Amino acid sequence: MLGTYYYHEILRRTTIAFATLFNDIHIRHRKKGTDKTTDIKVPLSYGPIQKFLARLEQQPELERPVQNVLPRLSFEMTNIQYDASRKTSITQTFKACEDGGQIKKVFLPIPYNIGFQLNMMSKIEEDTHQVVEQILPFFQPAFNLTVDLVDSIGEKRDVPVILDSVSFTDDYEGDFSSRRVLIYTFNFTVKTYLFGPIADSTDGLIKKVQVDLYSNTDVQIAKRETRYTVTPDPIDASPDDDYGYNESIENLFDQ
Amino acid sequence: MPLNPFFLSGSKGEQGLIQDLINEQIKMYGVDVHYIPRKFLTKNTVLKEVIESQYDSAFPIEAYISNSNGFGGQGTLLSKFGITEVDDLTLVISREIFELYITPLQKNLEDIELATRPKEGDLIFFPLGDRIFEIKYVEHESPFYQLKKNYVYELRCEPFRYGNEVIDTSIDVIDKSVEDEGIITTLSFVGGGRTATAQVIMGLQYVTEVFVNEDGNGYDFPPSVTFSPPEIPGGFTARGFALTTSVGDASSVYDVILSSAGSGYENPPTITFAGGGGAGAAATASIAGVGVTGIIGFQMFDRGEGYLDDGDAVITVTPPNDVNLAPGAGVTAVGIASVQNGQVVSINILNSGIGYTGAGISTEISVTVSSPRYAGFGTYLFNEIVTGQTSGVEARVKSWDAPSRVLKVANVSSNVQNVSFYPGEVVVGSSSSAYYKLAEYDSEDLNDPFAENKDIETEADAILDFSESNPFGNY
Repeated sequence: MLGTYYYHEILRRTTIAFATLFNDIHIRHRKKGTDKTTDIKVPLSYGPIQKFLARLEQQPELERPVQNVLPRLSFEMTNIQYDASRKTSITQTFKACEDGGQIKKVFLPIPYNIGFQLNMMSKIEEDTHQVVEQILPFFQPAFNLTVDLVDSIGEKRDVPVILDSVSFTDDYEGDFSSRRVLIYTFNFTVKTYLFGPIADSTDGLIKKVQVDLYSNTDVQIAKRETRYTVTPDPIDASPDDDYGYNESIENLFDQ
Repeated sequence: MPLNPFFLSGSKGEQGLIQDLINEQIKMYGVDVHYIPRKFLTKNTVLKEVIESQYDSAFPIEAYISNSNGFGGQGTLLSKFGITEVDDLTLVISREIFELYITPLQKNLEDIELATRPKEGDLIFFPLGDRIFEIKYVEHESPFYQLKKNYVYELRCEPFRYGNEVIDTSIDVIDKSVEDEGIITTLSFVGGGRTATAQVIMGLQYVTEVFVNEDGNGYDFPPSVTFSPPEIPGGFTARGFALTTSVGDASSVYDVILSSAGSGYENPPTITFAGGGGAGAAATASIAGVGVTGIIGFQMFDRGEGYLDDGDAVITVTPPNDVNLAPGAGVTAVGIASVQNGQVVSINILNSGIGYTGAGISTEISVTVSSPRYAGFGTYLFNEIVTGQTSGVEARVKSWDAPSRVLKVANVSSNVQNVSFYPGEVVVGSSSSAYYKLAEYDSEDLNDPFAENKDIETEADAILDFSESNPFGNY
């Protein structure tokens, strides 16, 4: 039963979508004696990384003149949890059209909540305040993102990003053997959807549309008056072809 | 009970001897480091923080390394904020040397606080590994009052957490240690362009100058200008074009520029104006005398590339070459370039000059076209301030790669909301006077191996539907 290979990269897409929200956070400081402000775009990165890769990328020369560069934003996925409140029928399907025009049968997605944590480390509290004030007002407590979760079927879903909590550590007390560490932590829940395998539909492409017109909205007693039918021309055209339409109107007064 | 008054536990002489011995030991077994005091530029009052610091002076001092077996601390750590160097360093410096040589030098510097002792927050440049440490604690009582006095400061240091502070001590090895550190953005300048070249065409009995006697009126666009043909067979008819100007509702001809001065004129040609929607313009010309040769035109040899406008290509003609010319009688020819699509398409004549000899295309007289201005000039200097001439945005140079014309800068600042250089503007260095025209400003690539801002932005373009706008992009 399990084992049909598919991979929609939904978790990756959700992660990128979440990260984008914090990809353009800036910190500004007024320069002494001028009317100018210095602008810093806060570096953002996914926290977890292969250790060897971190060493090769961030410390290729082994010796580094400084401890690190601040301020920085880091984010990571912390948990995945089924969201029963958004449960739908597991057997319900919908049709979607692939890029090439192929009709696909898609089961309704399964709702999952993905936990994310955003951390900010800074040298000074003023910087953290600037960042916090640029983030918090947008979450009341959710902010909706429209994410293309499965691009093969163009399935765009509104994914709420909910800010659950904000906390911070400010280790300024104690002896002078360690310096102050200022870290803000934001916990989020991203309400995304996981899609199962997408199968070719056994149904064909709809090539005939038929509409019956009644003279009255009470269809129990009213009689059909007209039948309007549309088919593609030629009838074997595929969605990407340059095709026209055949329309026919059939009067059904006597029936 | 009082101390025995017959025994001194520390006379001035003994204390001086110990201090000298300590100084000597440190000089023999220590290393030369640089003490870099912090300048407090901006302080946050209530939150008690230094917002903006600067380090622009460094004083050499010998120091003894207490932890001689290597750095203390936790070493290299991987955290959620990338790799962190948590190496501790403990240095011992002479109290006397500091007070004699560093205190006097820094006590009068502006924005320095507490110059009498080494202080927490100042930096130490440690030459072994070219690292910058920040003093996190100064221990002044270890060893404890030997002969009633303390002789050394013990500096407990940790690698500096860098936040784009300006380190400009004028000591290259210190300043350049943070060349690649911090949040750095990239300016890419346009290609070098190519300088145009041209030759002069000599002729006989030519038009030297055109005088607009009547400027007419109603010329909504420039009328065509026609010169009568020369009298001498084989001569060339002069050619030119009119320039118009508008004052209020009145548009008139204000000048005629020669594109060719013609040749073979025995009498000044008749000049007629046609078209342009106006009437009444009239002009006369003066010609060179019988047998006089001069510059009648310019022939483009290479139109060049990268010129901004007509004024960007400055034309220079060599002075008159007639050896029989009386002193002061010659007049140097003046040309003006016509630039289209970045190329010098022609050079026109403002003045044909007097006192040139030669025939046909001259090799003796040369015309020089200046290099395209925004092809750029000079070498940006490390740590200098560069300014965008249109945006007014300033930044501090981190590195300059001349072959690829890429300038990396930090501390980008402006007095407007949009802190960004404009593509197309000229960026000038304050010390070097180098200038180049900006092709692209990449504020996404922060040149930090930790930062993934650009990758995230690129990947998200295919995933996210921000058909309105990204609200998180506004400061």
